[in-house]
Amino acid sequence: MTGPVESGPVAPGRVKAGTVKAGTVKAGTVKAGTVKAGTVKCVVWDIDNTLLSGVYLESGAEPPPADPAMAAVLRELSARGILHAIASRNPPAAAEHAAQVTGGEFAAAECGWGRKSDAVARIAAELNIAADALAFVDDDPYERAEVTFALPPVLVLSPEDMTDAVGWPEFSPSVVTPEARRRGAMYAQRRRRLAAERSFGGSREEFLRSCGTRVTIAAASAADVSRLHELSERTSQFNSAGAGLAEEEFGSLISSPASGVLTVRLRDTFGDDGLVGGCVTEHGAEAWTVRLLMMSCRAMGRGVIEALLAWLIQSAAREGAHVLEVPCALNDRNVPLRLALAAAGFRAAGNQPAGGQPAGGQPAGGQAAGQASGPAGLGVPGGAVGPGRAVFRLDLGGPLPELPGWASGPGAP
Amino acid sequence: MTAAPGGASSADASPADAGTAVIGDEIRRILAAATGRAEMLDIPADAPLFGQAVALDSLTGTLLLREIRERFGVDVAGEDLNLDALATLGTLAAFVGERALGGPGEAK
Repeated sequence: MTGPVESGPVAPGRVKAGTVKAGTVKAGTVKAGTVKAGTVKCVVWDIDNTLLSGVYLESGAEPPPADPAMAAVLRELSARGILHAIASRNPPAAAEHAAQVTGGEFAAAECGWGRKSDAVARIAAELNIAADALAFVDDDPYERAEVTFALPPVLVLSPEDMTDAVGWPEFSPSVVTPEARRRGAMYAQRRRRLAAERSFGGSREEFLRSCGTRVTIAAASAADVSRLHELSERTSQFNSAGAGLAEEEFGSLISSPASGVLTVRLRDTFGDDGLVGGCVTEHGAEAWTVRLLMMSCRAMGRGVIEALLAWLIQSAAREGAHVLEVPCALNDRNVPLRLALAAAGFRAAGNQPAGGQPAGGQPAGGQAAGQASGPAGLGVPGGAVGPGRAVFRLDLGGPLPELPGWASGPGAP
Repeated sequence: MTAAPGGASSADASPADAGTAVIGDEIRRILAAATGRAEMLDIPADAPLFGQAVALDSLTGTLLLREIRERFGVDVAGEDLNLDALATLGTLAAFVGERALGGPGEAK
């Protein structure tokens, strides 16, 4: 059981441990399709003999200090906007101790005696991060094998691998914005907000109002371009194009009179999330077309996508358009976006032929769409969802949604 | 859970109807857990899920579809492009029931 795990099992398609030395591969030098730079969004850490140099419960009155190598990795990855979480067979106090001695900020902590793969799955659900955007670091080969077996998409590493892996493209996002550097702190805010919401009695709308939610929609400026690009690459659950858009493309779209580029910012009394969403629109006489609609999954459940759709619907109608359309890549990741579109009354006529790469030409969308067609047999006439794209439309002749009181945008009353 | 999938029942009531009712109750429980609101346990079958009473949004909707896939093995989003199945609690229960309880094409 331990044999094949010693060198650190690596999920298929990833760079194998040992084949890449630290520093030999820089982000961007690996061809698209073999590995996508910046794929790990969160590292899930074991505590004993991983974050700490020793075993928490066997150390008596004086808990062990931080492992210096892992503490350095932690700091370096935080500076790149990568999150951290803890999965440990220890009491919760061990996680607090580990946070204190490593100086790390942990977005989630699962302490208990259940299976590590269950803890990792709960962290993925809590942080809204897909398993293939997680790495797991544990010194125990059995735990690594268990997580590898139960959650194949997770990148599983030993602490020794992790020292090397800092140089891998998976841990090297191409862009690191101020939003990205504050990400750890934002997830800590998120934990406090979720705790408050659980103890709040009323509906979510009442909760959003009670915590002073503010959604601000504005025309994008040149200063927003790097964050918009980053969002376009990082978002998957709310990304209509299923692919990223380059900074230069955002730049030229902003200066083009034929299109609109919008930013969406979010804050409340728990904290300021900054720029969490955006869209690119084309304004025809008959129809407005949303070329890209995207939102950070961190903003999910906080009224942001609903406010943005309401603003787009109102603005298109006010400018005299009859239809608002959102061409959408169909994959198994962006179902939340389809839910938001369905809730706002959009409908799609049907699939366009598969194989058409979305603008931007990134391979990620195509791969995700391929997964969606999986073994489930998506063969129901009329409603079937295959890989490809569909255009979701809303007829603007009907009753229009109101912009919620906490949202504001250009031209809105 | 008396109405077992596969319906060994020989009673007059169609096993599919009984199964759909059970699935409807399960969906009510999922919604109550996802929203933290106990009143979800009493919503009528014809309540619109996107309407005022339930106010399904992308967050609660995602939780609901994930639970349905885990409990019944039905991938609603994979089979229903416009998510019309989510019109009401009743339409969703029927959609899941047809697939989970062995409609025309149970082969897999």
